This record gives sequence, C-alpha cells and structure tokens, in this order.
Amino acid sequence: MSNRYIGESIKRREDKRFITGKGRYTDDIVLPGMLHAHFVRSPYAHARVVGIDLEEAKAMPGVIAIYTGDDVAAINGVPCGWQVNFRNGETMREPKHPMLIPTGSTAKHVGDAVAVVIAETKDSAIDAAELVMVEWEELPAVAAPADAILPDAPKVHEQFPDNKAFDWTFGNPIEEVDAAMEKAAHITELEFINQRVVPNAMEPRAYIGSYDETSDKYTLYTSTQNPHLIRLLMCAFVLGIPEHKVRVVGPDVGGGFGSKIYHYTEEALVTWASKQIGQPVKWTSDRSEAFLTDAHGRDHATKAEMGFDADGNIVGLRIKTVANMGAYLSTFAPAVPTYLHGTLLQGLYTTPKINIDMTCVFTHTVAVDAYRGAGRPEATYLLERLMDLAALEMGRDPAELRFQNFIPPFDGVEQPGYQTQVALQYDSGNYEAVLKRGLEMLGYENFRAEQAEAAKTNKILGVGFSTYVEACGIAPSAVVGALGARAGLFESAQVRVQPTGKVSVFTGSHSHGQGHETTFVQVVADKLGIPMDDVDLVHGDSDTIAFGMGTYGSRSLAVGGSAIVKSIDKILEKGAKIAAHKLECAEGDLEYAEGKWTVKGTDKSIGFGDVALTAYVPHVYPAGLEPGLDFSSFYDPANFTYPFGCHIAVVEVDKETGKVTLKRMIAVDDVGNVINPMIVDGQIHGGLAQGIGQALFEGTIYDENGQLTNGSYMDYCMPRADDLPMFETDRQVTPCPHNPLGVKGAGEAGAIGSTPAVVNAVIDALWSAGHKPKDILMPLTSERVWEAMN
Amino acid sequence: MQLSGTHVLNAPVGKVWTMLMDPVTLARIVPAVSSLELIDDNQYKALAEIKMGPVSGSFSGNLSLLNIREKEGYSLHVKQASKIGNADALINIALKSLDDDQTELTFDGDARLSGLLARTGQRVISGVANTLTKQFFANFDEALSNEMNSVE
Repeated sequence: MSNRYIGESIKRREDKRFITGKGRYTDDIVLPGMLHAHFVRSPYAHARVVGIDLEEAKAMPGVIAIYTGDDVAAINGVPCGWQVNFRNGETMREPKHPMLIPTGSTAKHVGDAVAVVIAETKDSAIDAAELVMVEWEELPAVAAPADAILPDAPKVHEQFPDNKAFDWTFGNPIEEVDAAMEKAAHITELEFINQRVVPNAMEPRAYIGSYDETSDKYTLYTSTQNPHLIRLLMCAFVLGIPEHKVRVVGPDVGGGFGSKIYHYTEEALVTWASKQIGQPVKWTSDRSEAFLTDAHGRDHATKAEMGFDADGNIVGLRIKTVANMGAYLSTFAPAVPTYLHGTLLQGLYTTPKINIDMTCVFTHTVAVDAYRGAGRPEATYLLERLMDLAALEMGRDPAELRFQNFIPPFDGVEQPGYQTQVALQYDSGNYEAVLKRGLEMLGYENFRAEQAEAAKTNKILGVGFSTYVEACGIAPSAVVGALGARAGLFESAQVRVQPTGKVSVFTGSHSHGQGHETTFVQVVADKLGIPMDDVDLVHGDSDTIAFGMGTYGSRSLAVGGSAIVKSIDKILEKGAKIAAHKLECAEGDLEYAEGKWTVKGTDKSIGFGDVALTAYVPHVYPAGLEPGLDFSSFYDPANFTYPFGCHIAVVEVDKETGKVTLKRMIAVDDVGNVINPMIVDGQIHGGLAQGIGQALFEGTIYDENGQLTNGSYMDYCMPRADDLPMFETDRQVTPCPHNPLGVKGAGEAGAIGSTPAVVNAVIDALWSAGHKPKDILMPLTSERVWEAMN
Repeated sequence: MQLSGTHVLNAPVGKVWTMLMDPVTLARIVPAVSSLELIDDNQYKALAEIKMGPVSGSFSGNLSLLNIREKEGYSLHVKQASKIGNADALINIALKSLDDDQTELTFDGDARLSGLLARTGQRVISGVANTLTKQFFANFDEALSNEMNSVE
C-alpha cells in the first residue's frame, strides 16, 4: 500500500497519444488487401424493396462484390440482450433485425440497409453504391411513440398490428396508488415529451472484418464499448462461429455514450464478408450515416402526477409513459425504459406509493437504446420537473419542499440501505447535504430578491433545482438475470506481475475516453506501493483479456476496478508467502507497505520486485507453492451503487426574444470515493454539457413521413463552449459500502441531473414574470420560450 | 415541402394553356428542369439540377400530367430520384381567364423529400420553395414576352 496516487489529479497518460494525433482508432488500421464497404440505405422510413438492379453497379471499376438481403437471408438478425415480457405474461416481441432487407420485405426506418457494395477503395464503393438501383414501394410510416399506438397507425411489423413490443407496470399496485392520490390535497400533473437525441460520439462507428483461412480464424476490429460482448453476440447469435475462432479488438475508441454498446448489423456483415471474399473488409460510418443508424436515446411521451398532502408531503406518484423502441429492439433497449427507469422513480424522496405504466412501441425510426444515463435521466427529469412545478403551484419554496421529502441520511453500514417502493435498495445516501451545499454556492438567500428585481426588466431570471439519485456499477448478475437480462454483468481482471516486478493489468472494462489507463493504474500502483510507471493497463482485446462485460452504466471502476483489487489481494497474499519464506518468518509477522514486506518491528524487509523475481526463479521457495505471480479474478457486485447529487441552473430569459442564457450551472455530486478528481470533474463537465444540450439545443426531428429532417451538424444543434457558463462544481463523499474501493461511478451523473435543472430554471423565470407555463417542449429554443410568454 | 403561388400572366388563357402543354416550353420555364422528353401520352422523362442549401444534385425521373382539363388546368406529378435523395411532388395547376389579355395561374401542392435532401435541407426549404416559385413565374413571363415579340 501507499497513498501516493489515489485521490490525486494525475494527468491522463493516454492523452499523450490522443492530443498528438497518435491515437489508433479502427479507421486508422490498414490491413494488407483490405477492401472497403459502403451500404445502400433506404431513403424512406417504410418502403418495400420491389427489386434491386445491380448490373450497372457491378460493372464499376474496383467493385469486388455486392450483397443484397437475398444473399444474407440465411444469417440471423442481431439479437436483443434483454427480455421484458408483457404484463399479462405474453413474451416480448422480437422481430428479426436482418443484416440487409431482402426483396419483397420492407425497410423500417430511413437508413435501413438493403445492399452493401465492397470495392477496392472507399470512393469506388460509394460510386458503385449510387448505381445500385432499388425499386421502392413507399408505404405509410409512423415516427412518434404516442402515434404508434393509435388505432389506425401504420404497422411497423405486420405480425404485431398494435405496434407494441411489450407493456409493463412496476411499483405498488395501481389501486393503492389511486387510493393514495385520492386523498391528496394537491396533485401536480405534467404531460411532457423527453425528446429523442442523437449520441454523437466524436468517432463514428467503424469496423474491419478479417478472415485468415489457414487458422480458420476471424478478427474484428470494432469501435465498441465492449469487445467480448460483441464477440459473444456475433458468434453465438448471428454468425454461428465458435468463439475461440474469433478475436474482437476494440482499439482506441472516440466516445460512445452508450451508442457503441450494441451489436450492429454492419459488424457482423464485414466479418461475414471477409470470409466470402477472402480479404479484410472495412466500413467506416460517415456522420450522416451516424445520425441515421446509431441507436438514439430517450424518446418518452409521459403523463405524470405527483400527489401531496396539505403539509406538502408526497403521498403518491402515478405515471403513464409510451417509450419509443424504434423499428427493432437494440441490444439493451427493453431495459432502458423499464429496469433502468422505473426502478429510479423513488428518487430521493420518501414517496410511499409509486406506480408506472409503460408501453414500449415500435416505430419507423432507428432503434432507441441506452444513451448517457439510460433511463435514469428520464426518471430524474420526470421527478425533478414535478418537484419544481409542484412548488410553484403550491407556492412553496422548491428547496424547502425537497428537504421536507428527502430520505434521511443513511451510510449503509451503521444504518441499513434504503428500501425503495420500486425494488432497489439504495446503498448509502446523504441527500440534504448536497442540496445545502448547492444552495450555499448559489447564494440562495439573495437570489429571490435579485429575481424580483429582474422581473421588472426585460431580462428575467430563474433558478431550477434538480436533486438526483442514480443506479450505477451495473450490476449484480442474479438481480439483472431475474429482471430479464440475458447476460451477467460482472467484470474480469488479471494482474500479471512480470519477473522484474513490473505489472501488466488486463481489464475487461473498455476505455473510450474515461481515462482508465490512468485511474486504474493509480489504484494498482497504490495498492502495490509501486510507481505508476511500473504499471500498464491492457484492455480491448478478446485474445489477451479473459473476459469482459465492457464499459457503460458508470460501471468500470466500481465493477472492473473491484475485480482488479481482488486480483491484487491474491498477488499480495501469495507474495506474503514468498516473502515470509525468504525472510524466514511467519506470514503473520509481515506487514506490506510502500512496495515491501517488512517483519513488524524490525528493519528486515524484502521488496516487491525481489518477491516477483523469486516467484519466477523459484530456487529458494515455499514448498508446494506454484511459481509465478499472476492472478485473474471475476467480480460480481453485491448491489448497484447509488451516486447522487444536486444540480442548480440559473438562467436569464429575454422577454422580448425568448432567448435563454444559462448564467450559472452548479453541480454538487457525490460519486463515492474519488480516485482522480480531475477525471471525475471532466466526466461531470462532459455530462453537464450533454444534459444542457438536451435541455436547450438538441432534438431529433422525424417528420410525419418518418424522414429524419435534422441529420447533420448544420441542422442538429449541439452545445458549444460559448453556450455554457463556467461550471461550478463541488463534491461530497459518501463511500459505497459494498465494493472494495468505495466508489460509485461518475460517468453519467452530469447528464442525469442537469437537464431538468435547466428547464426548471426557465419555467421559474417565466413564472416570476407572471406567465405560468407548466411545460415547454425541449429543446427550449427562443421560439418556444417566446411562445410560452405570448 | 409546401408549394403554392398565384400570378397573373399577360396572355389570354388559350395561349397560356398551349405553353403549359408544350414540353419545350415547360422545360424552359420549370425551374431546375434541364430537359423534358416525351415518352408516352402526357408522360415525360425529366432531368433536373437542384441546389438546396448545402446539398445539390442531378435528378432524373418522370413528370406526368394528370387530370387534364382543357384551359382550366392539370395536375403535375413529378417523381425524381438522385444520389442525394428522392422527391415526389403533386402540384395542382389552375388557370382562370381574367380578361382577353390576362390569365391568373394558381398552383398548390406538396413535395415529399427523402434521403440527404430531407436530412440536411430542411432549414432552407421554404426559402428554396419561394425561390423556385418566383423563378417559375419569372420564366413564364419571359417566355410569354419572347413569344409575343416573335409573333410581332
């Protein structure tokens, strides 16, 4: 042990290659004889492939092969990894998501692929793809979730005429909630859309499939968040290839935000095609394809009601939501609106009765799946919008109303975890403290006076609160298995001490911007008491890493890091045996610190490097002990972790134009113990930007024909640096009681708390000036805000 | 994309009607259309060049005249495909004789866009529609005055 690194803002080791342009992404990889794929995609949201004429395209120079849906009809579709059945027991509906749409079948969203052209260069593949003549029969389409369940809605899958993938209810029985709501003195009701957003990872998806005939082995390079999961899904469910014949490499990956968790058709196709042709095949998505084909996020249409007694205590929460699944069920899609959303509806409050009624529907749009926060932002948005609106309606102070309804502090050690009405048991929490700190940073006592002054001018002010709790460190395998997951959610780690005492750590977590090469190494170096320079992290290759469930759901440090700690414990245990033998003492007489074992109370010691060397040159060695110093571990968490925090936004609204200026963004987050404060701050900052983006700028627009009408950066507005104030962040630490590092996870928090804070602030500003809108549709453009005042 | 417009042309309705039924004239006055080739009764093969905001492309497809009412109007069905997307427009054209020298031409319709056209052009679409409408009438006026001049 040492305390040199944990808790220090060590600069990210990986940034040296990233900021000098030396990162190695999938598209940077060039294999000998590599060919290039380009997909022919449906320009319509719903259209039958009447026929495909390949003649002209095939005649183009450089074209090696063109495959259509008829050529790949025998290949399975990409599978869904989570099953949520209808409340009446009917099995979840899982329409096949085919590799390419065969003749006679229908494309089900703009961008659905019908053919793939493989050519010697990317340009010739693109040119030839333009000459693939598809005869389409355009059919009516439906894009909005609430429209999909109308009686005459166009059908996405003929066999499922009601367009439902499944429906689901959760929490207390609805009768109990209805009864509680009947006694309520006040009910705050809010109907809103949590709009669809595009993940927009900086690096678009890219894949290279490569087949080696002599070994009968495939290699897939893929821009993914979880190489082993892709291997499992592709081998076992799509291509039927034995796993030991496939190596999946996720090299440097430029962001994912969820969109690169899932197994996509293009991954399987390039892998399959590389064997057909006998040459490697690369496909790199362009930005326009990314808009059309990356799984999107959110897209809920909700009606929510929160009941209060005469004193302002919450007595019940009743929710009805229609969630958009898109045309096909993506890998984790069914879990997002259900077990990652419904289970978080307790929030930080003591609400005694909660019920959610969820209908998940197919539409003629690209699949919706987990996007930074995945279900928890939707739950937080719902709860926190209701809280601020309820305060406005009841004439209560929004902070006071929260203090009154907060779950009291519990550390999960002395006090038990908090059992919610929606299945989860929170591990530890101290909610009042983060809000108190937030109010302090805001200077709340002066704010309302400033607001009253501003209300007399054309630049009105508003403050919005959001206090959240989320579930991270996903997840205990037995729990998620009972909830329909078709995978376990443990993590693996191998710590290999080399003969000279240098250490290679192999993790199943995958870094695509999170800084694992720094954070994980800080942990290992301190646990072993050796310099960080003596430790390297290896990740992203299924041939070198035992197994991995990957990186999402703020799980890497809590689950992957815990697996590493387990292996380190084994290293130190075995090392102690070797050290005791060398020092001729009992193991119990030794203590380990600063990279050496010392006989307690003496100056006799042996260093970590000497022990390592002895393990590999075991001349003088404990009898019966195996040589080597190399341990693998799997860690399955005992519970989710529950980070929480308080986000406060201050906005100025121009009464004449409706323009919203975000003046302040305060974030007090409790993510448990912190290994690298700078990296945690970076995660919070990035998350805040994305959450603010959803509130003020972003929104995917499918028109009534199912056309994506803002599929480029000219039309889809992303938040920019000058849209954002300097973030004011602070931290509180309530350690996680059930993992060895006491960490909770910080990857998604920023995106979870910030969105409702910003919208609440705008609503608060408008109420201060006498306008009383309950909701404004996100993103809060000047036009929409102006309309709410005029 | 909604398309509509009204314009008074300085010609008798008979003259306007003849021009509207003539592929050579149509090709000249319909903005962005570079050629019209008769392939069947009232059916043409059409080539067009369109620039819509950031995207531009060459289109080819069919143009057909439906619901033809002598000197009263017809419906124009345009189906165009290009590498930047497809367009499918149905436009109703109506003529009304105001007096011996003046005819009012009214049209309204809807164009459905797909592909890149739909994805990246939306912000500028009403601007493009207005420009196309203005061009159409300006071209028509010009064609008429050329016609009149050549007659004189």
